[in-house]
Amino acid sequence: MTQLSKFAKHFVNYTELRVQENQSMSITFLNGNLVGNEKKFTSGVSSRVFLNGSWGFASNPEMDDANIIDTIKLANENAEFLSGRQSKNKRIYEGAAFSVSHNFGTKKNRISQKELMDFVKEIDGYIVKKFADVTSRTVGLNFLSMEKTLLTSVGSNRYSLWPRTMIFVKLGVEENGDPINAYEVFGGRGHFEDLFTNPSDLFEDVDKLYEHLKNKSKGVYADAGEKEVILDADLAGILAHEAIGHTTEADIVLGGSIAADYVNKEVSSNLITLTDYAHSYNGNLCPTPIFVDDEGTKAEDVVIIKDGVLKEFMHNKETAATFKTIAKGNARAYQYFDEPLVRMRNTAIEPGKSKLKDMIASIEDGYYFMKTGNGQADSTSEFMFAVTVGYEIKNGKLARGIRDTTIAGLAFDVLKSVTMVSDDMVWGSWGMCGKKQMIPVGMGGPAIKCRINVGGK
Amino acid sequence: MAKNKVVNKMMKLLSEENLEKYQVTLNSSKKTEMVVERGEISLLRTIADTNLRITAINKNKKASVNINRIDDSSLEEATKNILELLETSEIDEAYDISPFQESKQFEIGSKVPNKDDMYKLLIQFIEEVKLEYPKLNISESSLTFNFTEVNLVNSNGVDYLQTKGIYNFYVVFTAKDGENISSMNFASFSMNELDKNLLDTATVRSRIKENIEQIETKPITEKFVGDVLITPDYLANLIATFAAIGLSDAALIAGTSVLKDSIGKKIASEKLSICSNPRSKQICDGYSITSDGFEAKDIMIIEKGVLKSHLLGLYGAKKTAKKRAENSGSAYVVDSGEVSYEDMIKKVKKGILLSRFSGGNPSPSGDFSGIAKNSYYIEDGKVQYPISETMIAGNIYDMFNNIKEISKEQVNFGNSIMPWLLTTGVTISGK
Repeated sequence: MTQLSKFAKHFVNYTELRVQENQSMSITFLNGNLVGNEKKFTSGVSSRVFLNGSWGFASNPEMDDANIIDTIKLANENAEFLSGRQSKNKRIYEGAAFSVSHNFGTKKNRISQKELMDFVKEIDGYIVKKFADVTSRTVGLNFLSMEKTLLTSVGSNRYSLWPRTMIFVKLGVEENGDPINAYEVFGGRGHFEDLFTNPSDLFEDVDKLYEHLKNKSKGVYADAGEKEVILDADLAGILAHEAIGHTTEADIVLGGSIAADYVNKEVSSNLITLTDYAHSYNGNLCPTPIFVDDEGTKAEDVVIIKDGVLKEFMHNKETAATFKTIAKGNARAYQYFDEPLVRMRNTAIEPGKSKLKDMIASIEDGYYFMKTGNGQADSTSEFMFAVTVGYEIKNGKLARGIRDTTIAGLAFDVLKSVTMVSDDMVWGSWGMCGKKQMIPVGMGGPAIKCRINVGGK
Repeated sequence: MAKNKVVNKMMKLLSEENLEKYQVTLNSSKKTEMVVERGEISLLRTIADTNLRITAINKNKKASVNINRIDDSSLEEATKNILELLETSEIDEAYDISPFQESKQFEIGSKVPNKDDMYKLLIQFIEEVKLEYPKLNISESSLTFNFTEVNLVNSNGVDYLQTKGIYNFYVVFTAKDGENISSMNFASFSMNELDKNLLDTATVRSRIKENIEQIETKPITEKFVGDVLITPDYLANLIATFAAIGLSDAALIAGTSVLKDSIGKKIASEKLSICSNPRSKQICDGYSITSDGFEAKDIMIIEKGVLKSHLLGLYGAKKTAKKRAENSGSAYVVDSGEVSYEDMIKKVKKGILLSRFSGGNPSPSGDFSGIAKNSYYIEDGKVQYPISETMIAGNIYDMFNNIKEISKEQVNFGNSIMPWLLTTGVTISGK
């Protein structure tokens, strides 16, 4: 990537200069038809300038020296356009300078496009051969990498390459004429070569998906109303991210989030500690490790809830100054033409001490929700998550599968109802958060037992 | 021949590889965006971007590559990538590009933004909101001018050029009074010129006004099957969802669409007519060419309850042996009815006014469930109170069949035109 230090002499005000390339590739088979076979390369330079309380931003796909200098100039002009029309007494947290380089790409020899295609085809062929009653199937591979070089006027200098590879399988069957679907995603951070070896390694998981699908197709609609439930890691993770995480992003807090008045107050059961991890958990790298963010700030963990008490918000440089605190590396941008926003990185509830089997055994009449499709939440912490795989719990045992349903509630109220937290930790590596821009995120956690509103027929 | 030298160079490179069919689309865009955060204009952004999409078909195999650097070596690299993807692709006789059509140029809107007027209009909006709705918190808002130039050329001689310059406005807000806050809501619209007061266009003012009312909400305390009066804002989303699960390439190729054999059949109330009108003068944020290389035309999707068209592209049509739609969907217009919005409310015995819905993706059968957001309880013909923690469950196809009334008033969002729609048979459950 382009060396940026030679452009520092063009920095007039507080300035960030970023060169970035995102690469993506997708292969998609729909009922055996190749409907997606595509590569995408998006690269360019952007600059952001802060002047008297206003920001100017500019970007350009052409990255020769002249265009980079023009981009810095245009960002300055944009900041001047606003600062010339409005006077603001606003500062930003500048922090210290950091220089890091992290390459999470594979060191192995890259395999060919044909081998990738054959890998996906072999999984598709396995499904056709083994499951005669599957009426629709989608099998595919998605790859995304983000390669960024950053230089700031504070002196931070950062290079990072982060790849993610996922294989997805979606199966459908018909039950009395009704199409019923379920899907699973495999993979995570890394190039294909570091994640997958043989298609047959995934067959056992595909079998499990089929079993869940059959149970769902023969299953029942959930009863509507407030129920005692267990949210498995997938759902506990999205609860942590969507419903609590977003309400504690400082820009959302300033925009009117309910969490604004909650600092140092008890907001959940004391079994809950919820953290946005910068890069590592228990000495292992998280799905989206961030060491220095896109404003050049060193990344540290943000402990949002500690033993049930709300402790801190996530910040960028501007909100950190507003709150008179420090930023901890939550400013992230998706494409070269995006400005950094306050974003989560790897958000999870910490594991507790209970065993999942004991948690299930403790429920007389409720549900075990395992997989989610999508989720949304708003500034009141009211959330909605789709449940795509789940089971009834009757007298402490798993019973019939359930059809697609949704769960909803006020997240802080739901976390207050938590009575058990399992002792395991499962990370989901395929998260993509959409807050103005998309951004890859990690989310995860243990299973939690709580009370929640279930939608149904 | 295409006027753009990059497109010409790319076409030449593909031609030299003796590929049977290929299409090159160059999309050059420039965006000027003023961003409001927490009630102040915080950022001015100027973004230039380019996307060159290359699709090639050879021996019934297909591949696509997208790049945004368009220097000679990037074009040569893209050619190599296309050849590699083609080599490993699968044979499918349904792959194709559009046939020869006369070259045309299309122009929508203006070419350059007026930054001073953008600033003035946005400042006016912020000040009016502060003055008239002091409890409202503008979380985020932006006024953007998007200019795009699309040059689509293929080896059958198609050569289209579309330029489009449109202003888009959106605002996200909550309201606060003491410790009580409303649920976040938003409003948006598109326009050709900066000739509108932002607060008084589309549903911006009404949504803001409602959001203040929604500081105080209560859940419905029972479960019942009732009426749902759908606002124009949510109706636009509902129709997009209906199109995705019932009319799209993916749903029809997978065979999961329950409408796969329903052309010419009654699938909804005869009160319902839906068009997709990307070329209409009423739709300022439309389009003139489809991504698979056809000139777009306005089409009828549902006429008086009868399904007239799926939304199949060229590949989907060949794959399913059904008719290709003459556009790519969106730009939806729902015909108005004969009853006023006020009279529709009077007809509701028990139900809700649904302004926003937060729910899971509906199943292919049309079943959905989720939360009614920013919505109101209606009883005995009167709007009673704003609700929270209220879930709804139903079936999209049933909702379209159970339509009681459609309003005579419509809202033009620039990219769609929607009335209010009253339907029934939806399960509504509170805490």
